[in-house]
Amino acid sequence: MRRTPAEPIGRFALLFVLSLGACQDTASGEPEPLPEGIRAIDASGAQVALGEPAQRIISLVPSATQTLQALGVGDLLVGRTDYDTGAWLADVPSVGGGLDPNLEEIIALRPDLVIRFGGNQDPRTPARLDEFGITHAAVRPDRIADLYASVILLGRLTGADQAADSLVTAIEEGLAELSRNAESLPRLRAAYVLGGTPPWVAGPNTYIDEILDLLGADNVFSDLGALYTSVSREEIRARDIDVVLVSDASQFDGTLAPDARVVEIGSALEVPGPDVVRSARDVAELLRGPSGR
Amino acid sequence: MSRSKLAITLIAALLLASLLGVRFGSVPLTTGDVLGVLAGGGDDVQRDIVMRFRLPRVLLGMLVGGGLALAGATFQALLRNPLAEPYILGISGGASLGAVSVLALGLAAWGSWTLPLAAFAGALLAIVLVFRLATATGQAMDVRVLLLSGVVIAAFFSACIAFILAVSPARTVRSAVMWMMGSLDGATWGSVTLTAVYTLPAAAVLIALARPLNLMAIGEETAYYLGADVEGVKRVSLVIAALITAAGVAVAGVIGFVGLVVPHAVRLLVGSDHRALLPLSFLGGAAFLTSADLVARVAMDPAEVPIGVITAFVGVPFFLLLLRRSMSRA
Repeated sequence: MRRTPAEPIGRFALLFVLSLGACQDTASGEPEPLPEGIRAIDASGAQVALGEPAQRIISLVPSATQTLQALGVGDLLVGRTDYDTGAWLADVPSVGGGLDPNLEEIIALRPDLVIRFGGNQDPRTPARLDEFGITHAAVRPDRIADLYASVILLGRLTGADQAADSLVTAIEEGLAELSRNAESLPRLRAAYVLGGTPPWVAGPNTYIDEILDLLGADNVFSDLGALYTSVSREEIRARDIDVVLVSDASQFDGTLAPDARVVEIGSALEVPGPDVVRSARDVAELLRGPSGR
Repeated sequence: MSRSKLAITLIAALLLASLLGVRFGSVPLTTGDVLGVLAGGGDDVQRDIVMRFRLPRVLLGMLVGGGLALAGATFQALLRNPLAEPYILGISGGASLGAVSVLALGLAAWGSWTLPLAAFAGALLAIVLVFRLATATGQAMDVRVLLLSGVVIAAFFSACIAFILAVSPARTVRSAVMWMMGSLDGATWGSVTLTAVYTLPAAAVLIALARPLNLMAIGEETAYYLGADVEGVKRVSLVIAALITAAGVAVAGVIGFVGLVVPHAVRLLVGSDHRALLPLSFLGGAAFLTSADLVARVAMDPAEVPIGVITAFVGVPFFLLLLRRSMSRA
């Protein structure tokens, strides 16, 4: 896939989110009154209904936690996960892991909205939340399009629609600029190695693959049949790689790609968050190296 | 099947699997390329692929597969239990605990040797604990106590592993699970040499103990009356078999099934005389794991299939076939 971020992926996400203000008269073009009811479709395809913008939110998804802060509604958070770090969250209690939260803690915090992972990794949490009548909304943290969709969704549910629109626009423009900068440079052959024996690498249709493409690099493992999979060392040796991105340099044997630059990028490319433009810019600098070629 | 016929078949299979293992891999090379490298030519990439990756990998597969099958046959004889396999004394649990601890504490950054070393240390810890438990009750080592000690020690270690993984970040969990699935991909000339220096002499000692093992397999009391040094043979062979397993786990992770099924298959084919069973199990394990690794590398090329998946997928139907044939003959 060769898709530039200049295309309005985020605008499609808007279609994904149906806002049906309870007042029918908003359709007549009058100035929009505060919505009496908020409805939105979340990433699992379920309808989420709130009487008013959420006031007490528990986020089980770290990238959604960051998005709430980026939307200026971080103070609505009453619960987070163990994986959320950041000084501004110091006073927000944790409810455990994002996929295995402590339900008692969730109930005790009396949330009016829980943000959870979409997908099938954790079927238990939504079922239990339903049982207790706690409203929940699913987001997917996988791709850039998912990020846009979750920004719009979270904006809708917190009454921060405008901030959400501007955030999406800012991310789109930031990524488009990075993409334009990369166009004049020669394309690189890159691999993202997660470590392990045999080494695990990122395949096609991953966030990493997307960002590499945008920054003017071809993922040498875009022919794999899985998102992430292990490949033999000889495969890495034979692929003629310019840059190897690793989250942790100790997890990669540099002699497997003697002609490549090995670049440590930490967790910058694990999941897309509202700071995706900054992460991508950092990675762009590392990709091109000090010479900036 | 006669012993010599099986021996020839297994040697032929091992040679074939090794040749194919060097010839084929996820990167397509021609036979000419491979021969060129072996003759000292080829470009850098081809030389690395054949000499650095494929050859050590084939050799490590032989040593680990042979060692596991031999250890399995020994455990089955000494514990007189058809379910006995190399990991029965909690060795895989100890090795996994060592490896997972290194990953969780971030010690893997110190060098590539930390992981196998910790795995080996963990396996040794399991062996010491299990043997201490088994001899705690008196002078003689009771194999039933040994078996039960192995089971509870393994359960305790897996609880420790579950705890460490529960409090570790996702990245550590991923590396740990990958390690525990087992793989020969980490083979280097260093790991081949280390494994060979230990496994080959140890295998020779076990094979030399075949006669007393024959007696032990009947029953310890009978063996004693027939003049075998029961306690001595038991201790020496258990420790040696346990250490062979520990060495294999340290360099290749936990590869299941080889140590359980290969000795049984050999026994079904040529009977349970350990003078034939032990060496043929070594050959059989070597041929089996080398072939399984070849499949693991090329089946989903360029992705690698965990080798434990292949040993089970190939091993189970083959074993059932053998079992059915021997049942219908009996």
